[in-house]
Amino acid sequence: MTSAAVVVCTWRGVRGEIPEETEAALTLGRKVSSALGADLHWLVVGTAPEADAEIAARQGVAALERIEDAKLAGGQADAFVEAMAQYCAQRSPRLLLFNQTFDTRLVAARLAGRLGSGAVMNGVDVEAEAGGRLRVTAAAYGGDTRVVYELAGEKSCIVALLANAVVPQPVEGAASSPTRSDVAVDLSGVEERIRVLEPARAEGLRLEDAEIIVAGGRGLSSPENYKLVEQLAEALGGMAGASRPLVDDGWVDSSRQVGLTGKITRPGLYIAAGISGASQHMAGCAAAKTIAAINTDPDAAIFRYARYGIVGDCLEILPELIRAAKQGR
Amino acid sequence: MRIVVCAKQVLDPDAVNNYALAGRLVIGEDGKTLTQTTIPQLMNAYDEQALEAALRLRDAGADCRIAVVSAGTDPTTLLRHAAALGADEIAAISLPSSGQDYHVIAALLAAYIRSSGGADLVLCGRQASDDDQGVVPALIGEALGMPVVTVARSVERAGSSDRPAVRVTRVTPDGDEIVEAACPALVTISNELGEPRYPTAARKLAARRMKPTIVSPDELSLRPEDLEPRALLTRQYVPTVQGHCEFVPGNTPAELADRLVGLLREDKLLQ
Repeated sequence: MTSAAVVVCTWRGVRGEIPEETEAALTLGRKVSSALGADLHWLVVGTAPEADAEIAARQGVAALERIEDAKLAGGQADAFVEAMAQYCAQRSPRLLLFNQTFDTRLVAARLAGRLGSGAVMNGVDVEAEAGGRLRVTAAAYGGDTRVVYELAGEKSCIVALLANAVVPQPVEGAASSPTRSDVAVDLSGVEERIRVLEPARAEGLRLEDAEIIVAGGRGLSSPENYKLVEQLAEALGGMAGASRPLVDDGWVDSSRQVGLTGKITRPGLYIAAGISGASQHMAGCAAAKTIAAINTDPDAAIFRYARYGIVGDCLEILPELIRAAKQGR
Repeated sequence: MRIVVCAKQVLDPDAVNNYALAGRLVIGEDGKTLTQTTIPQLMNAYDEQALEAALRLRDAGADCRIAVVSAGTDPTTLLRHAAALGADEIAAISLPSSGQDYHVIAALLAAYIRSSGGADLVLCGRQASDDDQGVVPALIGEALGMPVVTVARSVERAGSSDRPAVRVTRVTPDGDEIVEAACPALVTISNELGEPRYPTAARKLAARRMKPTIVSPDELSLRPEDLEPRALLTRQYVPTVQGHCEFVPGNTPAELADRLVGLLREDKLLQ
């Protein structure tokens, strides 16, 4: 292959949930690399997931690359940006694809500044044209619209892919046998400029991992009614979430916020109570296998996404759902 | 200390959202811009909160000058609003005729900050509510060699008078994180900062007399490559959602709830 490679970059937080999202990026990376006639590389910065070789093979990765350095263990940005800048100087990839997370949203953008290359966040798709030009589709206006950016220039382009935007698919036919290599970088000159005084205390359970989520919105009318959402979540063995207005108004903590600027979830069941279905919110739950919605307005946008709908006041329905959920268990 | 707040004018996102919810959001003939002329233009709410963060630093006793800068077609209303809220300096950067993207915008803002006396602290909104990209602050930080601290719920002074620093509480997915960075630094502000203040009538009047400094790209000694767009918006569209909702029938809340739980149990979604 002669064209510069498409590189999917995985960094930090390689927890149980990462491989699934990484595979989405690898699936998209494979599509772009084959359109460009280029190889697909998977660069793992720091700790690799245990099953990396297996994942790489079923995603058709040609080269599995690794950068390891003690300075990358802390998950801080300066070392990562420097390591990636050195990687790009050595290998000149055509496209760097990240899974968008809280951390990569910053480092991918900073890397673009360092390299002078085009970058797009909130990506949902990437297409390569015949001439090799890249077009990136991204969510805008909180998901109300999609915008298409054309990335100019020959420099390494950077795209951060939204969670749940691409369905991971294994390569058709035979799996690949990726080469393995370590990429040497010199991070001796890096001194992190941001000092962590108090790290975030990771909660035990994360909304992102919940199998059942009950979320409340403005339709709850007042803060004390949020307890109905919590009670139903508890009765169903799930977790309670909220739309952004509830967080903005201080009803609930921001760790409960589902949406583009909050948590992007993919539960089996998502029950939306008194939520209108604004795109900003739906970006955080549209990937749920089943959405059940309760809203007084039969024309509410939430019903366009829902499998089951109840037209009614969630303050009347929720207590009955709690009762029904507790019965016959 | 000098604090520079970068602000963008956007279409009122709530109005856009209402049009979208009603299925009436229309893209113009150019295939890129929203055509609803009735949607008002506002200061991006996250940027307004960035200005609020600057004003709170001043309220807390920081001896500071606050400059608000915007690169855009007609930011006068936005800058007047910033002045009414308490900005000491307001500046408008006109856009280059060669087209722009957020790389160009970031280059213009960084060059303005450098040429207008620098900044000990640059505050930006975490992202603009129109494109949601959030890339510009990171690019400015890189251009000015500043550490970039994102998604803050609060910013406080730290360090000493000869070695100023900021202490920032960040809203991370795992909860709040407290970090410190030496100045000069760039911090992006999130909605968790809380409601920004309203300008008083007297300040609104006074702000009318304040003239923004108009800066042309030619004055900013930029390299030609700084003015080359790298991510050009070529198309915008409204995604369609295929509805397939089955409305649960029933006459009472109890009946509706029992039916829904029954359906969810049939689908093996509930035990």
